[in-house]
Amino acid sequence: MTLTLENLGLCVQRNWIIRNINIEVQPGECLALLGPSGCGKSTTLRLIAGLDKPSEGSISLFNKDLKGISPVNRKIGMVFQSYALFPHLTVVENLALGLKVRGYSIAEQKRRISYVLELLQIATLRNRKPQEISGGQRQRIALARALLRDPLIYLLDEPMSNLDAQLREDLRPELRKLIISGDKPVIYVTHDQQEAMAISNRIAVLNNGNLEQIGTPQELYLKPQSIFVANFIGRPQINMFEPLDSIRIAVRPEDIYLDPDGIQCKLIYKEWLGQNQLLFFDTPKGTIRMIGDTALDIPSEPRITWKKQKEHHFSTKSGKRIS
Amino acid sequence: MKLNKTLIIFILIWSLLPLGWQLYTSFSTPEALTQPFIFSPNRWTFENYLQILNSNPPFWKYLLNSLIVGLLSTAITLIIAVPASYSLSKSNNRFSKLSKLFLAGSAMFPYVILFLSLLEVARKFNLGNNLLAICIPYSALSMPLAILLLTAAFKDIPKDLEEASVLEGLTLFQRLRWILLPLIKPSIASTAILVFLFSWNEYPIALTWISKSELLTLPVAMARLAGSSVYEVPYGAYAAATVIGSIPLLMIVLIFQRQIVSGLTQGAVKG
Ligand SMILES: Nc1ncnc2c1ncn2[C@@H]1O[C@H](COP(=O)(O)OP(=O)(O)OP(=O)(O)O)[C@@H](O)[C@H]1O
Ligand SMILES: [Mg+2]
Repeated sequence: MTLTLENLGLCVQRNWIIRNINIEVQPGECLALLGPSGCGKSTTLRLIAGLDKPSEGSISLFNKDLKGISPVNRKIGMVFQSYALFPHLTVVENLALGLKVRGYSIAEQKRRISYVLELLQIATLRNRKPQEISGGQRQRIALARALLRDPLIYLLDEPMSNLDAQLREDLRPELRKLIISGDKPVIYVTHDQQEAMAISNRIAVLNNGNLEQIGTPQELYLKPQSIFVANFIGRPQINMFEPLDSIRIAVRPEDIYLDPDGIQCKLIYKEWLGQNQLLFFDTPKGTIRMIGDTALDIPSEPRITWKKQKEHHFSTKSGKRIS
Repeated sequence: MKLNKTLIIFILIWSLLPLGWQLYTSFSTPEALTQPFIFSPNRWTFENYLQILNSNPPFWKYLLNSLIVGLLSTAITLIIAVPASYSLSKSNNRFSKLSKLFLAGSAMFPYVILFLSLLEVARKFNLGNNLLAICIPYSALSMPLAILLLTAAFKDIPKDLEEASVLEGLTLFQRLRWILLPLIKPSIASTAILVFLFSWNEYPIALTWISKSELLTLPVAMARLAGSSVYEVPYGAYAAATVIGSIPLLMIVLIFQRQIVSGLTQGAVKG
Protein backbone atom coordinates (compact mmCIF):
# COMPACT_ATOMS: atom_id res chain seq x y z
CA MET A 1 0.00 0.00 0.00
CA THR A 2 1.41 3.42 -0.89
CA LEU A 3 -0.06 5.62 1.78
CA THR A 4 -2.07 4.47 4.76
CA LEU A 5 -3.79 6.71 7.27
CA GLU A 6 -4.86 4.67 10.24
CA ASN A 7 -7.30 6.03 12.78
CA LEU A 8 -5.75 9.47 12.30
CA GLY A 9 -6.83 12.28 14.61
CA LEU A 10 -5.70 15.75 15.64
CA CYS A 11 -6.83 17.45 18.81
CA VAL A 12 -6.14 21.14 19.42
CA GLN A 13 -7.12 22.57 22.80
CA ARG A 14 -9.55 19.73 23.54
CA ASN A 15 -11.22 20.07 20.13
CA TRP A 16 -10.93 17.25 17.66
CA ILE A 17 -10.26 18.92 14.32
CA ILE A 18 -10.22 15.57 12.55
CA ARG A 19 -10.78 12.13 14.01
CA ASN A 20 -10.93 8.47 13.02
CA ILE A 21 -9.63 9.03 9.52
CA ASN A 22 -8.86 5.72 7.79
CA ILE A 23 -7.72 6.04 4.20
CA GLU A 24 -5.58 3.88 1.96
CA VAL A 25 -4.17 5.30 -1.24
CA GLN A 26 -3.25 2.81 -3.95
CA PRO A 27 -0.17 3.16 -6.16
CA GLY A 28 -0.71 5.67 -8.94
CA GLU A 29 -4.10 6.62 -7.63
CA CYS A 30 -5.55 10.11 -7.38
CA LEU A 31 -7.64 10.44 -4.28
CA ALA A 32 -9.79 13.53 -3.85
CA LEU A 33 -10.43 14.86 -0.37
CA LEU A 34 -13.79 16.55 -0.64
CA GLY A 35 -15.72 18.50 1.93
CA PRO A 36 -17.12 21.90 2.88
CA SER A 37 -14.90 24.70 4.12
CA GLY A 38 -13.41 24.03 7.55
CA CYS A 39 -13.99 20.28 7.52
CA GLY A 40 -10.33 19.47 8.03
CA LYS A 41 -8.98 18.86 4.53
CA SER A 42 -5.91 21.05 4.88
CA THR A 43 -5.35 19.65 8.35
CA THR A 44 -5.21 16.11 6.97
CA LEU A 45 -2.63 17.16 4.39
CA ARG A 46 -0.56 18.94 7.02
CA LEU A 47 -0.48 15.78 9.11
CA ILE A 48 0.69 13.73 6.14
CA ALA A 49 3.35 16.32 5.29
CA GLY A 50 4.55 16.31 8.87
CA LEU A 51 3.80 19.97 9.52
CA ASP A 52 1.60 18.98 12.47
CA LYS A 53 1.89 15.97 14.73
CA PRO A 54 -1.13 13.67 14.94
CA SER A 55 -2.71 13.32 18.38
CA GLU A 56 -3.62 9.73 17.63
CA GLY A 57 -3.29 7.18 14.87
CA SER A 58 -0.50 6.63 12.40
CA ILE A 59 0.56 7.45 8.86
CA SER A 60 2.68 5.12 6.79
CA LEU A 61 4.19 5.53 3.36
CA PHE A 62 5.33 2.37 1.54
CA ASN A 63 4.80 0.39 4.73
CA LYS A 64 7.12 2.66 6.66
CA ASP A 65 5.70 4.51 9.66
CA LEU A 66 6.27 8.24 9.18
CA LYS A 67 6.29 8.99 12.88
CA GLY A 68 9.37 10.98 13.80
CA ILE A 69 10.43 11.49 10.19
CA SER A 70 11.01 15.14 9.36
CA PRO A 71 8.91 16.85 6.68
CA VAL A 72 11.86 17.05 4.25
CA ASN A 73 12.64 13.36 4.48
CA ARG A 74 9.04 12.42 3.78
CA LYS A 75 9.71 13.62 0.22
CA ILE A 76 6.38 15.26 -0.35
CA GLY A 77 5.46 17.52 -3.23
CA MET A 78 2.95 19.93 -1.81
CA VAL A 79 1.03 22.72 -3.46
CA PHE A 80 -0.35 25.04 -0.80
CA GLN A 81 -3.81 26.54 -0.91
CA SER A 82 -2.14 29.98 -1.01
CA TYR A 83 0.66 28.67 -3.30
CA ALA A 84 3.18 29.97 -0.71
CA LEU A 85 5.62 31.35 -3.26
CA PHE A 86 8.39 33.43 -1.73
CA PRO A 87 7.41 37.02 -2.58
CA HIS A 88 10.93 38.46 -2.47
CA LEU A 89 12.40 35.94 -4.93
CA THR A 90 11.98 35.68 -8.67
CA VAL A 91 10.39 32.64 -10.26
CA VAL A 92 13.75 31.02 -10.96
CA GLU A 93 15.03 31.77 -7.46
CA ASN A 94 11.85 30.34 -5.98
CA LEU A 95 12.44 27.10 -7.85
CA ALA A 96 16.19 26.98 -7.29
CA LEU A 97 16.10 27.46 -3.52
CA GLY A 98 15.05 23.91 -2.70
CA LEU A 99 17.41 22.37 -5.25
CA LYS A 100 20.27 24.41 -3.86
CA VAL A 101 19.76 23.34 -0.25
CA ARG A 102 19.27 19.75 -1.30
CA GLY A 103 22.74 19.84 -2.83
CA TYR A 104 22.28 19.90 -6.59
CA SER A 105 25.11 21.43 -8.63
CA ILE A 106 24.46 24.74 -10.37
CA ALA A 107 24.43 23.06 -13.78
CA GLU A 108 21.95 20.44 -12.60
CA GLN A 109 19.72 23.12 -11.04
CA LYS A 110 19.69 25.01 -14.32
CA ARG A 111 18.89 21.91 -16.33
CA ARG A 112 16.00 20.83 -14.12
CA ILE A 113 14.49 24.29 -13.83
CA SER A 114 14.63 24.87 -17.57
CA TYR A 115 12.97 21.49 -18.06
CA VAL A 116 9.96 22.21 -15.82
CA LEU A 117 9.64 25.77 -17.07
CA GLU A 118 9.40 24.42 -20.61
CA LEU A 119 7.03 21.69 -19.52
CA LEU A 120 4.65 24.17 -17.92
CA GLN A 121 5.18 26.81 -20.62
CA ILE A 122 6.24 29.52 -18.21
CA ALA A 123 9.81 30.08 -19.38
CA THR A 124 9.06 33.72 -20.17
CA LEU A 125 8.30 34.41 -16.53
CA ARG A 126 11.74 33.36 -15.24
CA ASN A 127 12.75 36.69 -13.79
CA ARG A 128 9.40 37.96 -12.54
CA LYS A 129 8.41 38.15 -8.89
CA PRO A 130 5.25 36.31 -7.76
CA GLN A 131 3.26 39.53 -7.39
CA GLU A 132 4.04 40.39 -11.01
CA ILE A 133 2.31 37.35 -12.48
CA SER A 134 -1.29 36.20 -12.69
CA GLY A 135 -3.02 33.68 -10.44
CA GLY A 136 -2.93 30.93 -13.03
CA GLN A 137 0.76 31.50 -13.60
CA ARG A 138 1.42 31.42 -9.86
CA GLN A 139 -0.36 28.11 -9.69
CA ARG A 140 1.96 26.75 -12.39
CA ILE A 141 5.02 27.93 -10.49
CA ALA A 142 3.73 26.19 -7.38
CA LEU A 143 3.21 23.03 -9.43
CA ALA A 144 6.69 23.40 -10.89
CA ARG A 145 8.14 23.57 -7.40
CA ALA A 146 6.31 20.41 -6.41
CA LEU A 147 7.52 18.65 -9.57
CA LEU A 148 11.13 19.64 -8.89
CA ARG A 149 10.83 18.13 -5.46
CA ASP A 150 10.77 14.71 -7.15
CA PRO A 151 8.45 13.43 -4.43
CA LEU A 152 7.06 10.06 -3.44
CA ILE A 153 3.56 11.51 -3.22
CA TYR A 154 1.84 14.72 -4.25
CA LEU A 155 -0.41 16.67 -1.91
CA LEU A 156 -2.39 19.35 -3.73
CA ASP A 157 -4.40 21.66 -1.48
CA GLU A 158 -7.15 23.26 -3.56
CA PRO A 159 -4.67 24.07 -6.33
CA MET A 160 -7.36 25.70 -8.44
CA SER A 161 -9.45 27.48 -5.83
CA ASN A 162 -8.07 30.93 -6.67
CA LEU A 163 -8.74 30.61 -10.37
CA ASP A 164 -11.83 31.46 -12.37
CA ALA A 165 -14.06 28.67 -13.64
CA GLN A 166 -12.83 28.89 -17.23
CA LEU A 167 -9.17 28.68 -16.30
CA ARG A 168 -9.89 25.78 -13.97
CA GLU A 169 -11.29 23.72 -16.78
CA ASP A 170 -8.43 24.73 -19.05
CA LEU A 171 -5.83 23.67 -16.53
CA ARG A 172 -7.45 20.37 -15.65
CA PRO A 173 -6.10 18.34 -18.60
CA GLU A 174 -2.67 19.83 -18.03
CA LEU A 175 -2.73 18.90 -14.37
CA ARG A 176 -3.86 15.43 -15.30
CA LYS A 177 -1.08 15.03 -17.82
CA LEU A 178 1.67 16.27 -15.53
CA ILE A 179 0.84 14.91 -12.15
CA ILE A 180 -2.35 13.01 -11.79
CA SER A 181 -1.87 10.32 -14.41
CA GLY A 182 1.75 9.77 -13.42
CA ASP A 183 2.76 6.77 -11.35
CA LYS A 184 3.01 8.78 -8.13
CA PRO A 185 -0.05 8.82 -5.90
CA VAL A 186 -1.84 12.14 -5.52
CA ILE A 187 -4.10 13.52 -2.83
CA TYR A 188 -6.17 16.29 -4.31
CA VAL A 189 -8.06 18.53 -1.93
CA THR A 190 -11.07 20.40 -3.21
CA HIS A 191 -14.46 21.62 -2.10
CA ASP A 192 -15.78 21.44 -5.64
CA GLN A 193 -17.52 18.09 -6.11
CA GLN A 194 -17.50 18.38 -9.88
CA GLU A 195 -13.76 18.86 -9.91
CA ALA A 196 -13.34 15.91 -7.57
CA MET A 197 -15.43 13.66 -9.80
CA ALA A 198 -13.67 14.82 -12.93
CA ILE A 199 -10.16 14.36 -11.72
CA SER A 200 -9.94 11.53 -9.21
CA ASN A 201 -10.15 7.75 -9.09
CA ARG A 202 -11.70 7.77 -5.66
CA ILE A 203 -13.20 10.43 -3.42
CA ALA A 204 -13.07 10.68 0.36
CA VAL A 205 -15.82 12.90 1.71
CA LEU A 206 -15.01 14.71 4.94
CA ASN A 207 -17.51 16.43 7.16
CA ASN A 208 -16.71 18.14 10.43
CA GLY A 209 -13.46 16.24 10.75
CA ASN A 210 -15.04 12.83 10.15
CA LEU A 211 -14.71 10.62 7.11
CA GLU A 212 -18.24 10.21 5.77
CA GLN A 213 -17.54 7.90 2.87
CA ILE A 214 -14.76 6.85 0.59
CA GLY A 215 -15.30 5.33 -2.84
CA THR A 216 -15.31 5.87 -6.58
CA PRO A 217 -17.33 8.81 -7.90
CA GLN A 218 -19.95 6.33 -9.16
CA GLU A 219 -20.29 4.66 -5.77
CA LEU A 220 -20.68 8.00 -4.05
CA TYR A 221 -23.28 9.14 -6.52
CA LEU A 222 -25.28 5.94 -6.80
CA LYS A 223 -24.97 4.66 -3.24
CA PRO A 224 -24.36 7.56 -0.85
CA GLN A 225 -23.76 6.08 2.59
CA SER A 226 -25.12 9.04 4.55
CA ILE A 227 -27.53 11.94 4.29
CA PHE A 228 -24.55 14.32 4.18
CA VAL A 229 -22.95 12.60 1.21
CA ALA A 230 -26.27 12.37 -0.61
CA ASN A 231 -26.78 16.11 -0.19
CA PHE A 232 -23.20 17.01 -0.95
CA ILE A 233 -22.63 14.96 -4.09
CA GLY A 234 -24.64 15.65 -7.22
CA ARG A 235 -25.95 18.89 -8.64
CA PRO A 236 -28.79 19.81 -8.78
CA GLN A 237 -29.16 18.62 -5.24
CA ILE A 238 -30.94 15.40 -4.34
CA ASN A 239 -34.60 15.60 -3.18
CA MET A 240 -34.57 14.87 0.53
CA PHE A 241 -38.10 14.20 1.84
CA GLU A 242 -39.39 14.85 5.33
CA PRO A 243 -38.62 11.96 7.70
CA LEU A 244 -41.26 9.29 8.03
CA ASP A 245 -41.12 6.56 10.70
CA SER A 246 -37.45 7.40 11.37
CA ILE A 247 -36.62 6.87 7.71
CA ARG A 248 -35.65 9.57 5.26
CA ILE A 249 -36.18 8.95 1.60
CA ALA A 250 -34.19 10.74 -1.05
CA VAL A 251 -34.49 10.71 -4.86
CA ARG A 252 -32.19 12.30 -7.42
CA PRO A 253 -33.85 14.96 -9.62
CA GLU A 254 -33.11 13.02 -12.82
CA ASP A 255 -35.01 9.95 -11.51
CA ILE A 256 -38.26 11.88 -11.32
CA TYR A 257 -40.59 11.83 -14.29
CA LEU A 258 -44.08 12.88 -15.31
CA ASP A 259 -46.70 10.18 -14.89
CA PRO A 260 -50.53 10.39 -15.00
CA ASP A 261 -50.71 8.14 -11.89
CA GLY A 262 -48.14 10.13 -9.93
CA ILE A 263 -48.60 12.61 -7.10
CA GLN A 264 -50.42 15.82 -7.72
CA CYS A 265 -48.23 18.94 -7.78
CA LYS A 266 -47.81 22.48 -8.98
CA LEU A 267 -44.94 23.99 -10.97
CA ILE A 268 -43.37 26.85 -8.99
CA TYR A 269 -40.58 27.85 -11.34
CA LYS A 270 -38.01 26.51 -13.74
CA GLU A 271 -34.34 27.08 -14.38
CA TRP A 272 -33.02 26.66 -17.86
CA LEU A 273 -29.72 24.75 -17.76
CA GLY A 274 -28.93 24.59 -21.46
CA GLN A 275 -29.21 20.93 -22.42
CA ASN A 276 -32.11 20.42 -19.99
CA GLN A 277 -34.20 22.29 -17.48
CA LEU A 278 -34.58 22.16 -13.73
CA LEU A 279 -38.20 22.20 -12.57
CA PHE A 280 -39.35 23.01 -9.06
CA PHE A 281 -42.67 21.46 -8.01
CA ASP A 282 -44.72 22.18 -4.96
CA THR A 283 -46.07 18.86 -3.65
CA PRO A 284 -47.62 17.54 -0.43
CA LYS A 285 -44.15 16.08 0.30
CA GLY A 286 -42.48 19.46 -0.02
CA THR A 287 -40.60 21.03 -2.91
CA ILE A 288 -39.33 18.52 -5.45
CA ARG A 289 -36.65 19.18 -8.04
CA MET A 290 -36.83 17.44 -11.35
CA ILE A 291 -34.51 17.46 -14.35
CA GLY A 292 -36.46 17.39 -17.56
CA ASP A 293 -35.91 17.69 -21.27
CA THR A 294 -36.08 21.26 -22.56
CA ALA A 295 -38.70 20.13 -25.06
CA LEU A 296 -40.85 18.79 -22.24
CA ASP A 297 -44.28 20.34 -22.14
CA ILE A 298 -45.42 20.81 -18.55
CA PRO A 299 -49.20 20.46 -18.14
CA SER A 300 -51.00 22.87 -15.84
CA GLU A 301 -51.68 20.16 -13.25
CA PRO A 302 -48.66 17.88 -13.58
CA ARG A 303 -48.33 14.57 -11.80
CA ILE A 304 -44.89 13.22 -11.05
CA THR A 305 -43.44 9.96 -9.77
CA TRP A 306 -40.25 7.90 -9.52
CA LYS A 307 -39.27 4.28 -9.51
CA LYS A 308 -39.14 2.59 -6.12
CA GLN A 309 -35.66 1.14 -6.75
CA LYS A 310 -34.26 4.65 -7.33
CA GLU A 311 -35.02 5.64 -3.76
CA HIS A 312 -32.26 6.09 -1.22
CA HIS A 313 -33.22 5.27 2.37
CA PHE A 314 -31.49 6.77 5.38
CA SER A 315 -32.02 6.38 9.09
CA THR A 316 -32.99 9.73 10.60
CA LYS A 317 -31.24 8.86 13.85
CA SER A 318 -27.75 8.04 12.57
CA GLY A 319 -27.99 9.73 9.18
CA LYS A 320 -26.63 6.51 7.65
CA ARG A 321 -27.91 4.55 4.69
CA ILE A 322 -30.31 1.67 5.26
CA SER A 323 -30.21 -1.32 2.85
CA MET B 1 -6.83 69.92 -1.52
CA LYS B 2 -5.78 73.54 -1.03
CA LEU B 3 -6.18 73.16 2.72
CA ASN B 4 -4.02 70.03 2.63
CA LYS B 5 -1.25 71.89 0.89
CA THR B 6 -1.25 74.77 3.36
CA LEU B 7 -1.29 72.30 6.23
CA ILE B 8 1.70 70.42 4.84
CA ILE B 9 3.60 73.65 4.30
CA PHE B 10 2.78 74.75 7.82
CA ILE B 11 3.99 71.45 9.30
CA LEU B 12 7.16 71.60 7.24
CA ILE B 13 7.91 75.11 8.46
CA TRP B 14 7.03 74.11 12.00
CA SER B 15 9.50 71.23 12.04
CA LEU B 16 12.22 72.64 9.80
CA LEU B 17 12.40 76.19 11.14
CA PRO B 18 14.49 75.31 14.23
CA LEU B 19 16.90 73.39 11.99
CA GLY B 20 17.11 76.32 9.60
CA TRP B 21 17.75 78.65 12.48
CA GLN B 22 20.62 76.44 13.68
CA LEU B 23 22.10 76.41 10.21
CA TYR B 24 21.79 80.19 10.01
CA THR B 25 23.34 80.64 13.45
CA SER B 26 26.23 78.32 12.68
CA PHE B 27 27.38 80.56 9.84
CA SER B 28 26.88 83.84 11.67
CA THR B 29 29.41 85.90 13.61
CA PRO B 30 28.54 86.72 17.23
CA GLU B 31 27.86 90.37 16.25
CA ALA B 32 25.44 89.28 13.57
CA LEU B 33 23.56 87.26 16.14
CA THR B 34 23.06 90.10 18.56
CA GLN B 35 22.14 92.55 15.80
CA PRO B 36 20.27 90.53 13.19
CA PHE B 37 19.85 93.49 10.86
CA ILE B 38 23.42 94.68 10.37
CA PHE B 39 24.86 94.26 6.91
CA SER B 40 28.58 94.26 7.33
CA PRO B 41 31.25 92.33 5.40
CA ASN B 42 31.83 90.06 8.45
CA ARG B 43 28.20 88.99 8.58
CA TRP B 44 28.90 85.38 7.48
CA THR B 45 31.72 83.21 8.79
CA PHE B 46 33.21 79.74 8.94
CA GLU B 47 34.84 80.64 12.22
CA ASN B 48 32.39 78.54 14.30
CA TYR B 49 33.19 75.40 12.35
CA LEU B 50 36.92 76.03 12.40
CA GLN B 51 36.73 76.61 16.13
CA ILE B 52 35.08 73.31 17.02
CA LEU B 53 37.08 71.29 14.51
CA ASN B 54 40.39 72.69 15.82
CA SER B 55 39.63 72.23 19.49
CA ASN B 56 41.36 69.53 21.46
CA PRO B 57 40.13 66.82 20.94
CA PRO B 58 38.60 67.90 17.62
CA PHE B 59 34.87 67.69 17.33
CA TRP B 60 34.83 64.93 14.74
CA LYS B 61 36.31 62.68 17.44
CA TYR B 62 33.01 62.86 19.36
CA LEU B 63 31.17 62.14 16.16
CA LEU B 64 33.29 59.05 15.68
CA ASN B 65 32.71 57.97 19.30
CA SER B 66 28.97 58.31 18.91
CA LEU B 67 29.07 56.48 15.63
CA ILE B 68 31.00 53.56 17.15
CA VAL B 69 28.66 53.35 20.11
CA GLY B 70 25.57 53.68 17.94
CA LEU B 71 26.56 51.05 15.40
CA LEU B 72 27.77 48.59 18.01
CA SER B 73 24.66 48.97 20.21
CA THR B 74 22.46 48.49 17.16
CA ALA B 75 24.38 45.40 16.11
CA ILE B 76 24.26 43.83 19.60
CA THR B 77 20.56 44.60 19.93
CA LEU B 78 19.67 43.05 16.58
CA ILE B 79 21.86 39.98 17.06
CA ILE B 80 20.02 39.17 20.27
CA ALA B 81 16.58 40.51 19.38
CA VAL B 82 16.16 38.67 16.06
CA PRO B 83 16.40 35.09 17.41
CA ALA B 84 14.53 36.08 20.56
CA SER B 85 11.61 37.50 18.62
CA TYR B 86 11.59 34.58 16.20
CA SER B 87 11.10 32.12 19.03
CA LEU B 88 8.57 34.38 20.75
CA SER B 89 6.57 34.61 17.54
CA LYS B 90 6.49 30.81 17.29
CA SER B 91 5.44 29.88 20.81
CA ASN B 92 2.10 30.59 22.31
CA ASN B 93 2.41 29.12 25.79
CA ARG B 94 2.04 30.79 29.16
CA PHE B 95 5.76 31.48 29.45
CA SER B 96 5.93 33.40 26.20
CA LYS B 97 2.82 35.40 27.06
CA LEU B 98 4.40 36.33 30.40
CA SER B 99 7.64 37.31 28.66
CA LYS B 100 5.77 39.56 26.30
CA LEU B 101 4.06 41.24 29.24
CA PHE B 102 7.40 41.86 30.92
CA LEU B 103 8.90 43.14 27.69
CA ALA B 104 6.04 45.58 27.20
CA GLY B 105 6.43 46.70 30.80
CA SER B 106 10.15 47.32 30.51
CA ALA B 107 9.79 48.98 27.13
CA MET B 108 7.59 51.59 28.78
CA PHE B 109 9.73 51.94 31.90
CA PRO B 110 11.35 55.41 32.18
CA TYR B 111 15.00 54.44 31.99
CA VAL B 112 16.26 57.67 33.57
CA ILE B 113 15.30 56.22 36.92
CA LEU B 114 17.89 53.52 36.33
CA PHE B 115 20.92 55.62 35.70
CA LEU B 116 22.10 55.82 39.33
CA SER B 117 22.04 52.07 39.74
CA LEU B 118 23.70 51.71 36.33
CA LEU B 119 26.44 53.98 37.62
CA GLU B 120 26.93 51.56 40.51
CA VAL B 121 27.21 48.73 38.02
CA ALA B 122 29.81 50.62 36.03
CA ARG B 123 31.85 51.26 39.16
CA LYS B 124 31.63 47.72 40.43
CA PHE B 125 32.66 46.08 37.16
CA ASN B 126 35.03 48.81 36.09
CA LEU B 127 33.04 49.68 32.98
CA GLY B 128 33.54 53.44 33.16
CA ASN B 129 35.40 55.30 30.42
CA ASN B 130 34.99 52.51 27.92
CA LEU B 131 33.16 53.00 24.66
CA LEU B 132 32.49 49.28 24.19
CA ALA B 133 31.13 48.90 27.71
CA ILE B 134 28.57 51.66 27.31
CA CYS B 135 27.00 49.67 24.50
CA ILE B 136 25.83 47.13 27.07
CA PRO B 137 23.27 49.36 28.81
CA TYR B 138 22.34 50.93 25.48
CA SER B 139 21.47 47.66 23.81
CA ALA B 140 19.86 46.31 26.99
CA LEU B 141 17.58 49.34 27.21
CA SER B 142 16.62 49.15 23.53
CA MET B 143 16.08 45.41 23.63
CA PRO B 144 12.45 45.22 24.87
CA LEU B 145 11.05 47.51 22.19
CA ALA B 146 13.20 45.88 19.51
CA ILE B 147 11.98 42.42 20.46
CA LEU B 148 8.34 43.51 20.51
CA LEU B 149 8.60 45.19 17.10
CA LEU B 150 10.38 42.24 15.50
CA THR B 151 8.03 39.69 17.08
CA ALA B 152 5.11 41.49 15.48
CA ALA B 153 6.96 41.48 12.15
CA PHE B 154 7.67 37.74 12.32
CA LYS B 155 4.04 37.08 13.22
CA ASP B 156 2.90 38.94 10.10
CA ILE B 157 4.67 36.47 7.81
CA PRO B 158 2.14 33.94 6.48
CA LYS B 159 2.67 30.53 8.09
CA ASP B 160 2.55 28.81 4.69
CA LEU B 161 5.73 30.51 3.53
CA GLU B 162 7.87 29.10 6.28
CA GLU B 163 6.23 25.69 6.02
CA ALA B 164 6.84 25.59 2.29
CA SER B 165 10.50 26.23 2.95
CA VAL B 166 10.54 23.48 5.58
CA LEU B 167 9.20 21.05 2.99
CA GLU B 168 11.84 22.26 0.55
CA GLY B 169 14.47 21.18 3.05
CA LEU B 170 15.70 24.50 4.45
CA THR B 171 17.20 24.33 7.93
CA LEU B 172 16.25 26.86 10.58
CA PHE B 173 19.29 28.99 9.81
CA GLN B 174 18.68 28.85 6.06
CA ARG B 175 15.04 29.80 6.58
CA LEU B 176 16.03 32.85 8.58
CA ARG B 177 18.74 33.83 6.16
CA TRP B 178 16.87 33.38 2.88
CA ILE B 179 13.19 33.67 3.69
CA LEU B 180 12.30 35.29 6.99
CA LEU B 181 14.87 38.06 7.37
CA PRO B 182 14.45 39.33 3.79
CA LEU B 183 10.69 39.44 4.40
CA ILE B 184 10.96 41.55 7.55
CA LYS B 185 13.69 43.81 6.20
CA PRO B 186 11.57 46.97 6.59
CA SER B 187 10.91 46.20 10.25
CA ILE B 188 14.56 45.45 10.87
CA ALA B 189 15.53 48.75 9.27
CA SER B 190 13.10 50.79 11.35
CA THR B 191 14.05 48.93 14.53
CA ALA B 192 17.74 49.51 13.84
CA ILE B 193 17.13 53.21 13.34
CA LEU B 194 15.20 53.48 16.60
CA VAL B 195 18.04 51.79 18.50
CA PHE B 196 20.67 53.89 16.77
CA LEU B 197 18.77 57.11 17.54
CA PHE B 198 18.42 56.16 21.18
CA SER B 199 22.16 55.70 21.64
CA TRP B 200 22.91 58.75 19.49
CA ASN B 201 20.79 60.98 21.71
CA GLU B 202 21.32 59.33 25.08
CA TYR B 203 22.64 61.72 27.73
CA PRO B 204 22.45 60.67 31.44
CA ILE B 205 24.25 57.33 31.12
CA ALA B 206 26.91 58.76 28.83
CA LEU B 207 27.42 61.61 31.27
CA THR B 208 27.96 59.36 34.26
CA TRP B 209 29.86 56.49 32.63
CA ILE B 210 32.37 58.53 30.65
CA SER B 211 34.56 61.32 31.96
CA LYS B 212 37.67 61.25 29.73
CA SER B 213 37.26 64.04 27.21
CA GLU B 214 38.51 62.04 24.22
CA LEU B 215 35.85 59.36 24.85
CA LEU B 216 32.81 61.61 25.15
CA THR B 217 29.81 61.00 22.96
CA LEU B 218 28.11 63.79 21.05
CA PRO B 219 25.38 64.88 23.49
CA VAL B 220 27.78 65.16 26.42
CA ALA B 221 30.39 66.91 24.33
CA MET B 222 27.81 69.44 23.19
CA ALA B 223 26.68 70.08 26.72
CA ARG B 224 30.29 70.71 27.72
CA LEU B 225 30.68 73.09 24.83
CA ALA B 226 27.64 75.05 25.94
CA GLY B 227 28.85 75.25 29.51
CA SER B 228 32.51 75.86 28.73
CA SER B 229 32.44 79.49 29.76
CA VAL B 230 30.56 81.13 32.61
CA TYR B 231 30.47 84.52 30.92
CA GLU B 232 29.15 83.76 27.47
CA VAL B 233 27.25 81.09 25.61
CA PRO B 234 29.07 80.16 22.39
CA TYR B 235 25.93 80.08 20.27
CA GLY B 236 27.74 79.93 16.98
CA ALA B 237 30.00 77.02 17.91
CA TYR B 238 27.09 75.24 19.49
CA ALA B 239 25.01 75.59 16.36
CA ALA B 240 27.89 74.36 14.22
CA ALA B 241 28.19 71.29 16.48
CA THR B 242 24.47 70.62 16.09
CA VAL B 243 24.70 70.83 12.34
CA ILE B 244 27.68 68.47 12.19
CA GLY B 245 26.02 66.14 14.66
CA SER B 246 22.89 65.81 12.57
CA ILE B 247 24.66 65.05 9.29
CA PRO B 248 25.10 61.29 9.96
CA LEU B 249 21.44 61.01 10.92
CA LEU B 250 20.34 62.78 7.78
CA MET B 251 22.48 60.43 5.75
CA ILE B 252 21.00 57.35 7.41
CA VAL B 253 17.48 58.59 6.85
CA LEU B 254 18.20 59.36 3.21
CA ILE B 255 19.73 55.94 2.61
CA PHE B 256 17.01 53.95 4.37
CA GLN B 257 14.10 56.27 3.49
CA ARG B 258 12.21 53.61 1.60
CA GLN B 259 12.54 50.98 4.29
CA ILE B 260 11.53 53.39 7.05
CA VAL B 261 8.39 54.50 5.31
CA SER B 262 7.31 50.99 4.39
CA GLY B 263 8.09 49.92 7.96
CA LEU B 264 5.87 52.65 9.34
CA THR B 265 2.94 51.77 7.13
CA GLN B 266 3.43 48.02 7.40
CA GLY B 267 0.36 46.15 8.54
CA ALA B 268 -1.85 49.07 7.62
CA VAL B 269 -3.05 47.24 4.54
CA LYS B 270 -3.58 43.50 4.38
CA GLY B 271 -2.29 41.60 1.44
N1 LIG C 1 -3.98 25.48 14.72
C1 LIG C 1 -5.30 25.42 14.86
N2 LIG C 1 -5.86 25.67 16.05
C2 LIG C 1 -7.19 25.61 16.22
N3 LIG C 1 -8.06 25.29 15.24
C3 LIG C 1 -7.57 25.04 14.03
C4 LIG C 1 -6.16 25.08 13.77
N4 LIG C 1 -5.98 24.78 12.47
C5 LIG C 1 -7.20 24.57 11.96
N5 LIG C 1 -8.16 24.71 12.88
C6 LIG C 1 -9.60 24.51 12.68
O1 LIG C 1 -9.74 23.25 12.09
C7 LIG C 1 -10.79 23.24 11.16
C8 LIG C 1 -10.31 22.63 9.86
O2 LIG C 1 -9.39 23.49 9.24
P1 LIG C 1 -8.80 23.18 7.80
O3 LIG C 1 -7.88 24.29 7.45
O4 LIG C 1 -8.26 21.80 7.78
O5 LIG C 1 -10.11 23.26 6.89
P2 LIG C 1 -10.26 23.01 5.33
O6 LIG C 1 -11.09 21.82 5.17
O7 LIG C 1 -8.92 23.01 4.68
O8 LIG C 1 -11.08 24.28 4.90
P3 LIG C 1 -10.93 25.21 3.59
O9 LIG C 1 -11.69 24.55 2.50
O10 LIG C 1 -11.56 26.49 4.01
O11 LIG C 1 -9.46 25.33 3.32
C9 LIG C 1 -11.26 24.67 11.02
O12 LIG C 1 -12.50 24.78 11.68
C10 LIG C 1 -10.20 25.49 11.70
O13 LIG C 1 -10.78 26.57 12.36
MG1 LIG D 1 -7.88 24.25 3.43
